[in-house]
Amino acid sequence: MNARTFLLLLTLAVCDGTRVEAGVLDTLRGWMGLGGKEESIQEPEKVMPRIRIGSFSGGTGASAQKALRKELLESREFFVAGADEKIDFTVEGSSIGGRVTGKLRDAKGKELFQRSYAAPGLDENLKALTDDVIYTITGRPGLATSRIVFVSDRSGKRQIYICDSDGGEVHQVTHDKFGAVAPSLSPDSSMIAFTSYRSGFPIIRLLDLNLGWERGVTDTPGSSFGSAFSPDGTHLSAVMSFIGNPEIFVSDLNTNTAACVSDSIGAPSGPSWHPDGRQIVFSNDEGDGPKLYIVEVPQKEGESSRLFRWRTGYHFCTDPEWSPDGRYIAFTTRKNGEWTVAIKPYPNGSVRVLQAGGAQHPSWSPNGHFITYVQHGELFVHDLRSGNRRSIVRGYGQITEPRWMR
Amino acid sequence: MPSFLKNPADEAVVYALGPRDGYTSPLSTNLKPACPALVFGEDDFRLTPAHEHALNGVAQEVSPNKKTRLLIAGYAPPNLPQDHARALSDRRALAVRQRLIELGLEAANMQTVGFGNDFSPTGPSSAVVVIYRQN
Repeated sequence: MNARTFLLLLTLAVCDGTRVEAGVLDTLRGWMGLGGKEESIQEPEKVMPRIRIGSFSGGTGASAQKALRKELLESREFFVAGADEKIDFTVEGSSIGGRVTGKLRDAKGKELFQRSYAAPGLDENLKALTDDVIYTITGRPGLATSRIVFVSDRSGKRQIYICDSDGGEVHQVTHDKFGAVAPSLSPDSSMIAFTSYRSGFPIIRLLDLNLGWERGVTDTPGSSFGSAFSPDGTHLSAVMSFIGNPEIFVSDLNTNTAACVSDSIGAPSGPSWHPDGRQIVFSNDEGDGPKLYIVEVPQKEGESSRLFRWRTGYHFCTDPEWSPDGRYIAFTTRKNGEWTVAIKPYPNGSVRVLQAGGAQHPSWSPNGHFITYVQHGELFVHDLRSGNRRSIVRGYGQITEPRWMR
Repeated sequence: MPSFLKNPADEAVVYALGPRDGYTSPLSTNLKPACPALVFGEDDFRLTPAHEHALNGVAQEVSPNKKTRLLIAGYAPPNLPQDHARALSDRRALAVRQRLIELGLEAANMQTVGFGNDFSPTGPSSAVVVIYRQN
């Protein structure tokens, strides 16, 4: 072996040793509760699909074409190609009186869908068309029609409000006598589950946003709060204490029956479902600060379930929420005495601090690219790909507990 | 501290809450507290000797009248995350109820509620449990 070969082997061994040591150190930091080094969410390299906006006939066709271009550019899911550029897809159609018909074709001219949108406004119809284009091409839901619910004390009592994903169209949806808190949107955005104080006691109610009806889910003694829809919208997890102990329950919304899935001697809160509907992450304080726990949801009656602590390296963790792909959990923690929003890969990986300085209550966008949270009463949306964030609702009372449509 | 919180392995009887019919919320009307508010450490739900002393007094006063009903309401400070605050205040209220049962009060005559930091009690601290008389 000549000197150059020996030096090369030595260099490889040292580099390899450094990588191993770094991994071990991160693991040790995790075990010791120090948290690992921060890292950004690594997404696999992907080539943006190239889409062309073809002609839109009809009286409002030109406006529709222009607005669709804006929506598709803002989605950051596509490269919007010019007339002479190579493309993967074309969207075209017509628009008369604000109504829109859209048609999506692939590069070979094969029609992927044709749909008509007849909501009262042109913008609303184009948002729906944009989301359909995104879903058909990427398989992920678009955000143009998604909604965020939150709580605000703007009216003097805490009530629930809803807005679109860029903070527009804010509407108050509850007018309960003593207030309403802890909202959760159903997967199709048609219903809100929330904790109502209308009777003077905290009970969970469902509000159908399309039809306007409302009904109680729990009217049990003690407290009921922290409701979260299962990914298929058929079940609701929540904290209830009628058995003399606060526990996580899963309610079947069709049969109105509930089953206890936790076994706590502490204070459980904030359940959130894994996208496969088989696990729930929640916060539980057994006297030494809230930590995160995961419980498997029994799929059959009498089936046993595993409950275990999921370590984050932080001593105070609340409001966990699973990402739409199940690969991450976002949560609120306390760092240097300040509320902080953090993300950790599931099941293993290093914690990434997303926003410190009082940020709380994270909630993922349906496509997993954004997180909404509150900071000092303002509602923010944080882009996980660029790291940029922007305030979407401010000066609207003290905003708390945002939830994005799942 | 209630015995069931001292050691999870210990056998403990936890009494389910009875029907809430006829109970009045402190949000609806002014209710009279059975004793001064029990103040807790900011993140704590364990009962202290001062709580034990106050609860002994409540038990002695209430025990002779089997019809006395109590609503035990927990509150939490405004700086805590909302859902955790609800859970913490609920757990505090249930810990107080459990101790009162151990001191001889009827489980059926006590309801609990955790208001978290959705509502504030009157007084200097918001990390409290208030025991309200119902009749």
